[in-house]
Amino acid sequence: MSFIKARLQKWFESRLPLADSVALTQRTVYILPTRAGMLLALTLAVLLVASINYQLNLGYLLTFLLAGTALAGMYLCHGTLRGLSMNLIAPPAQYAGASAVFDIKLTNARDAVRHGIGLSVLHQREVDPQQAPGRRQWAWTDVPAQGSSIVQVAFRPRARGLHRLPTLMAETRFPLGTFRVWTVWRPAAQVTVYPAPELAPPPLPPGEPRAQGAGASLRAHSAGEFDGVRSYRRGDPVKNVLWKKAAKVSGQVGMEGGGLVVRDSQLAQHQELWLDFKLAGPLDTEQKLSRLCAWVLQAERLGLDYGLRLPALEVSPATGQAHQRRCLEALARC
Amino acid sequence: MLTLARLPDTLRTLPRDGRDTLFLLAVIAWVLLPQALRLPLWCSAVAGAVLLWRGWLALRARPLPTRLWLVLLLGATVAATYATHGTLLGRDAGVTLLVVLLTLKTLELRARRDAFVIFFLGFFCMLSNFFYSQSLLTAASMVVGLLGLLTALVNAHMPVGKPPLLQSARIAGWMGLLGTPVMVVLFLLFPRMAPLWGVPSDAMTGRSGLSATMEVGTMAKLALDESVAMRVKFDGETPPQRDLYFRGPVLSSFDGRQWQPLRQSLPARYALAADLRVSGERVGYEITLEPTRQPWLFVMEAAAEPPQLSDLRAVMQPDLQWVTHRPITETTRYRAASHAAFRHGPAQPVLGLQEYLDLPPGFNPRTLAFASDIRRDPRYARAGAVELVALAMERLRTGGYAYTLEPGVYGRHTADEFWFDRKQGFCEHIASAFVVLMRALDIPARIVTGYQGGESNPVDGYWIVRQGDAHAWAEVWQAGVGWVRADPTSAVSPGRIGAAQRLELPQGVVAQALGNFSPTLAAQLRGTWEAINNAWSQQILNYTEGRQFNLLKNLGFASPNWLDLSYLLIGAIVLASVAGGGWALWDRLEHDPWLRLLGRARRRLARDGLQSTPASSPRQLAEQALAMRGAQAQPLHDWLTRLESQRYGAKSAAGGVRQLRRQFRQLRWPD
Repeated sequence: MSFIKARLQKWFESRLPLADSVALTQRTVYILPTRAGMLLALTLAVLLVASINYQLNLGYLLTFLLAGTALAGMYLCHGTLRGLSMNLIAPPAQYAGASAVFDIKLTNARDAVRHGIGLSVLHQREVDPQQAPGRRQWAWTDVPAQGSSIVQVAFRPRARGLHRLPTLMAETRFPLGTFRVWTVWRPAAQVTVYPAPELAPPPLPPGEPRAQGAGASLRAHSAGEFDGVRSYRRGDPVKNVLWKKAAKVSGQVGMEGGGLVVRDSQLAQHQELWLDFKLAGPLDTEQKLSRLCAWVLQAERLGLDYGLRLPALEVSPATGQAHQRRCLEALARC
Repeated sequence: MLTLARLPDTLRTLPRDGRDTLFLLAVIAWVLLPQALRLPLWCSAVAGAVLLWRGWLALRARPLPTRLWLVLLLGATVAATYATHGTLLGRDAGVTLLVVLLTLKTLELRARRDAFVIFFLGFFCMLSNFFYSQSLLTAASMVVGLLGLLTALVNAHMPVGKPPLLQSARIAGWMGLLGTPVMVVLFLLFPRMAPLWGVPSDAMTGRSGLSATMEVGTMAKLALDESVAMRVKFDGETPPQRDLYFRGPVLSSFDGRQWQPLRQSLPARYALAADLRVSGERVGYEITLEPTRQPWLFVMEAAAEPPQLSDLRAVMQPDLQWVTHRPITETTRYRAASHAAFRHGPAQPVLGLQEYLDLPPGFNPRTLAFASDIRRDPRYARAGAVELVALAMERLRTGGYAYTLEPGVYGRHTADEFWFDRKQGFCEHIASAFVVLMRALDIPARIVTGYQGGESNPVDGYWIVRQGDAHAWAEVWQAGVGWVRADPTSAVSPGRIGAAQRLELPQGVVAQALGNFSPTLAAQLRGTWEAINNAWSQQILNYTEGRQFNLLKNLGFASPNWLDLSYLLIGAIVLASVAGGGWALWDRLEHDPWLRLLGRARRRLARDGLQSTPASSPRQLAEQALAMRGAQAQPLHDWLTRLESQRYGAKSAAGGVRQLRRQFRQLRWPD
């Protein structure tokens, strides 16, 4: 039974168009009575029977007024979502396993406030795999008249790669809680998920001898300068410590040598840092990628030139935010 | 310590949970308040105490009591309910239980589900108020209660921040307004049916009025019930007050303590026939009878034609009382016609009259001796009913007898005590003693109960008969004539009959002060209030199947029945659905007034040959127009620029969309 339900759900979801902004209409907003709504219907039935049996005209009035109000509540409930527009604000790249937050902008063109709109990820296992089924994390908001509000929705991407954002659900029970009005929305935007960086990675691998041609041009470019740095090892002369870098990276934990960095005057000229998939230790692919990710972050933090060598791809050594992103994306899509 | 002076500040700074709970408690208290005096004392006390306790917990943000507490309280109150009512079923026990459950549930307000249970129990409590009173005041207070409950419900569904309660109240009021047409249509058209199953017998209690029997001497004090028994609208002039006898049950069997309807001991063929002969002027009138839970239809003496009811049939009993085939459980209106001059009963002595001479043995020995003394008097030895009635009336007038509402409890011989010892009582004592004396004198006599008199409401011209106008009088049989009315109370207290005077009970402080200050103003206010109440009961409470069918007749149905009602109801629903569909279609159109205006401008420009895409801004359009038409398009250009700055520029730069729309209509377009 649950299998059929899951298949139906999947089929239903696959029919939904992918879009980064939706304007909700009658066709995309669904409505069903809640359990409280059923209870209200039962209450109305009992009130009606009591009015008939005791021949209470005032009882009829009360019953019918309540019924009319419930109908009006149904209309208002549906109207809370109908006509609302939702826009996804494209999220930045995320690391796998960490909780990622993205923004959704709700816009209300109407003259009245829309109260009590909740947004949530449709499949809660995409938020937290340990979440008990049936419990849902909601982000609630009111959307002001002719205005907009921004809601933050969190989810936890499980695997690296290029992922579509999770299917979202917007719901409201305003004003009486007797009806549930909801819509399901599949955002088109994709988010790049980098591998989760290894928590306590080993030190960066030693440099490799520079290839002849590339090394020559680099040497010409950086003549007379100390380019190479490496982590502090016991026995390094104190005068070689780069105190400025140390100040910048101090406070970062899990780094060899307490985060101190020393000049590597001999190696820097002749060797370059390659973060190589093959040399990332005797681990499985994902763990290797995690380690490479941690190394990329570490190398970038130290301001080193580094290259990335993956089985199918090679990123030549460089430094800087753009380079780091290129490397991380390569890791994500590997 | 929380002082009263600091209470407003405390309330203002209360966290949302506490504020919402206090508001809900206040609404519950409001809904329960009208019941407080009717419920058993312990129940009102427990409800009040629990609400106060819960309010204190909310004010101090203390944790709720444990479940053990609740179970104990619930057990104790259910036991007390059983002890009070002897049952847990039935109306009164049900209402008590409902109140207890509702208040105890407030101690368990944890999840959203609990809140819903409170709301729904609250709706039931509101309905239970109507068992006891359907007055305008009750209705008004319950409308306030309903709005309060809805406000709390709306507030509970605003999860963001701490929204002001006034906002929720406005939404609740708006929903109520939207629901009102539905209520009106359903109220007018929902088929009124008979009770689906037998109404529990305790539905009969709680309303005062006449009963089917009359106990003599047990009530030490008669409270004059000021509630309305019926309202009469006479077609012409109101007949003189002394003729306003509204006939109810006739009581003929006496066991010494209690008068009951005749228990026929002779074979049925000897039973007396009504044999009513009316003469003289015919008085037509319309009566609106409050529910009595009895099948009686009160009419002025004497009505020869059956009262006309919309859905009930009336039958005349041999004792001249009109009854229907089921109890009057709702305010009922009927037309009738009476003649003040009438004769009824057998003119010649028949065997059936023997039934009206029976007296229980062993009661009232002194009255019996008094009767034989009279008979021994040669003047009265062969006297007929007329002389003997005159004799008794003379004694009542001159013998020092008094009419009082507080005669005290009588002993075993009620007639003896009245005639010889106490010499005071109200109409029951007087009529009973009178009939006992007549029977002892061998004159067939019986007691008639009903209402006598009433008063006119000058505001709407209705004649109002109150429960306090309930009366008991006598009928004696006179040879050659039949049954003749004899009202001994009129001899004791001439003011009681024939004038608008009644013994009045002490009034409330305010009414008394007002009465002292300005009796006419007090009467005027009371008259107005009762006219409003009358309109309420005529239009709303008396809206029955008959009125529904009248409405249908006015709508053009030839012979309406409940099927027509259903068709009309279904038609209304279909109409509403079609209207809803139309609304939905309309709803698909562009609703943003600014975008709509831009669309209009775009279409108008397209007709002039200026093509644009949905993405082009007003400014681009303006420049395009200027480029195509030159200076002629300057006003158009300016308008489009204003349109853009209204949306994207600083606030109030270009006025509202409405102003722009007006300018658009007046715009001079380039040729």
